[in-house]
Amino acid sequence: MAKQSRTKLVIEEEKAAYKLLLPTVIILFIVAVYPVLQVFYTSTTDRVFAGSSETKFIGLENYTQLLGFMVRELPAKTDSEGNLIVDSETGKKEFKHPIDVLPMRPVRYKSAYQIDIFGNRYVIGARSPDFLRAIVNTILFSIIAVSLETLFGLIIALVVNSKFKGRGIMRALMLIPWAVITVVSARMWEWMFHPSRMGFFNTVLSKIGIGNGNIAFLAADSLQLPSVIAADVWKTTPFMALLILAGLQMIPQELYEAAWVDGANRVKQFMTITLPLLKPTIAVALVFRTLDSLRVFGPFQVMLGSQKYSMATYNYYQLIGNREMGLASAIGVIIFILISLFAFFYINMLGVDTE
Amino acid sequence: MMPENKALKYITNIAFILLLILISVYILFPFYWTVNSSFKSETQLQMMPASFLPTDPDTGNISFNLTNYKSVLQNKEFLMGILNSIIVATATTFLALLAGSLAGFAMGQLRFRGKKITLYVILSMTMFPQVTVLTGLYAVMRALNLEPRLGMILSYMIFTLPFTAWVLTSFFKDLPREILESARVDGATFFQTFRFILLPLTAPALVTTGLLTFIRSWNEYLFALTFTSASRMSRTVPVVIAYFTGATTHQEPFGQIMAASVIVTIPIVVLVLYFQRKIVKGLTAGAVKG
Repeated sequence: MAKQSRTKLVIEEEKAAYKLLLPTVIILFIVAVYPVLQVFYTSTTDRVFAGSSETKFIGLENYTQLLGFMVRELPAKTDSEGNLIVDSETGKKEFKHPIDVLPMRPVRYKSAYQIDIFGNRYVIGARSPDFLRAIVNTILFSIIAVSLETLFGLIIALVVNSKFKGRGIMRALMLIPWAVITVVSARMWEWMFHPSRMGFFNTVLSKIGIGNGNIAFLAADSLQLPSVIAADVWKTTPFMALLILAGLQMIPQELYEAAWVDGANRVKQFMTITLPLLKPTIAVALVFRTLDSLRVFGPFQVMLGSQKYSMATYNYYQLIGNREMGLASAIGVIIFILISLFAFFYINMLGVDTE
Repeated sequence: MMPENKALKYITNIAFILLLILISVYILFPFYWTVNSSFKSETQLQMMPASFLPTDPDTGNISFNLTNYKSVLQNKEFLMGILNSIIVATATTFLALLAGSLAGFAMGQLRFRGKKITLYVILSMTMFPQVTVLTGLYAVMRALNLEPRLGMILSYMIFTLPFTAWVLTSFFKDLPREILESARVDGATFFQTFRFILLPLTAPALVTTGLLTFIRSWNEYLFALTFTSASRMSRTVPVVIAYFTGATTHQEPFGQIMAASVIVTIPIVVLVLYFQRKIVKGLTAGAVKG
């Protein structure tokens, strides 16, 4: 009798729990589970948004169109007698145009990158060179931005963790870039990077003799990525510093006192106490920030538009600009897979505690 | 303590102060530059080299100019944007807290089969790349024919609801189960216990998670840009600022953009500085613990 009523209570509790979870489950089904299934399915079709033609199943065609690439060696240019043509000014070999070695049929491969190795030149041809470059841009962006953020974040966290007057104010100041809307911060930096001396950077750089005051930070190919990284690092370093600061505060003070007694100096304390104990915190922060920056959208879209893509902005332009739902879905799936791979790799390598 | 050389200590102190100044300048400078530019007229903005305070191009005297603020505050799209952002961010926060606290109570206090898997599924969703579902969500929004603002509120659940549910679960877990059991003995239902006894106890957590949810929704750009691409008047602040173009000028009206940036940033900065401690706790709890 007693046992039976307990079971009834257990069942009642379970029922209540399921009911309470229902709103969350329904909402997440509508906005996450169903759209994901839809994305995986649509990525195998040629669906065009508001298109007149019937949607067809095309298997992995979207994926091969996005990821198809080949590497070819570019032959050197020769004259009619087979002699190498050499540039008269630089004295370097001249190479044929990529169009001469990349296939046109059945599908066209366009040059995405050209690389020089040991005096030979290779061309990487891709069916969607913009997407291939978007992947490379995003990965480069993530590696550089996250490394800088971690370094600056560590420095700032160590500074605001030591005792000094005004520490509270410093800790509050740190939150300001975090509170600025990402689009707003991108616009602020866009204005500071103005390609004339109306902009801050050109004003200062020309004063100290760098450039002519007209450096086109956001239009010159080699400066675009560094500019976006500068804006992103400013905006996200505080978050990194906060996480690392929280980790620092969890290190017991007694360890340092004991180290003093043993005669360890500050550098030694940092290397033997702070860094090892901070490792798990930094690992978690790295995972968070890397996964975040692999899906970077705002800074690229606002500062570079369609001049240079990240994976997310390429996805956006295919969907809204070209109305290619099938293709855009495949891009979404590729981003998903890439991010999962990174997460898996990170968690294994850094030994992040999943509990 | 080990004896330290006095001169060395002096040098370290100076180096430390320099480092503090360097960090403060780095953090504050872009914002200072924005405020500075927002008070410059068109001619003042075009001065070369750019001045570090708004100055009169002829006399060189300092002169603040309010035209950018005036024209921004008369810009109907910008004002609509603020209103839309307030509506969307408030409704998102409310919905995410409502659903999240129900789920948090169930997962933190009640015993049921499948709890672990539910928790893990929800946690994994906090890592989910928004852009992956972009196309699918866009299709769902069009199929349901949702008003763009409603669409944004619903779509923001993908990054806010897993977060609120997860954080609130850990708060409910910390409350002793005896409260629930004694309320049961007194004849209260699970929902009554939740609503009248346990929920008030989690008020601090609700404030923190609510604040973070609000700021994240206020910030959101990708979904807002996509879902309002056909409807100008539903745009939220980030989209309005990204699309800001002058009515009269050929160049981008950076003075107005900067003024608009200042206007939308100051309330958030004030809010953040006021709730500083809570925010830091919420941010680090979500990450360090999770």
